[in-house]
Amino acid sequence: MSRSLKKGPYVDAKLMRKVLRQKASSDSSPIKTWSRRCTVVPEFVNHTFEVHNGKTFHKVFIVEDMVGHKLGEFSPTRVFRGHTGKKVKGPA
Amino acid sequence: MPRIAGIDIPNEKRAIVALQYIHGIGPAIAKRIIEATGINPATRARDLTEDETKRIAIEIEQKYTVEGALRRLVTSNVQRLKDIGCYRGMRHRKGLPARGQRTKTNSRTRKGKAKTVAVKRSVKAMR
Repeated sequence: MSRSLKKGPYVDAKLMRKVLRQKASSDSSPIKTWSRRCTVVPEFVNHTFEVHNGKTFHKVFIVEDMVGHKLGEFSPTRVFRGHTGKKVKGPA
Repeated sequence: MPRIAGIDIPNEKRAIVALQYIHGIGPAIAKRIIEATGINPATRARDLTEDETKRIAIEIEQKYTVEGALRRLVTSNVQRLKDIGCYRGMRHRKGLPARGQRTKTNSRTRKGKAKTVAVKRSVKAMR
């Protein structure tokens, strides 16, 4: 079920404050965040975030098309390294 | 045979069914078109008058995206997901289901025909 429209998109309040502060101060260093559930709002465009994936931070530069998605969608939490036994056939 | 929505030539079926041969028109939209144009749904496609065909064509053009335009819209939506590098885009790139379905089994529509993987026997079993 999707979120009630009455509430509006979920945006991490602290993160939003950081973004607005950065907007005022013309500094563009990446903002580290753990808030993967935070929706990308138009104010985030052209800012860089470092989104935690449980282990490391993923650099994400926000472009207009990303608005409406969540930050976590851009920071994969799983790494697929391939299945076992799929090696190239060597000499028997 | 009547030509509706560009190159589509629905066949000798009832109008409401024939319309569904157009990409982007299913049972629901076909019904809506038939009702909006006031055509008897039981009329065979070949028996539609020129005027009726025209009314259907205008109705589709004004209200619905079909065929090439629809295909382009879908591809561009998928391309957008791929370009922004989000999770759903990655799933599209890998040809895996994008909406959280299981992939341990099934998902054959997205993954294609099953490729049998040889069972790797343990060293003990080989002796």
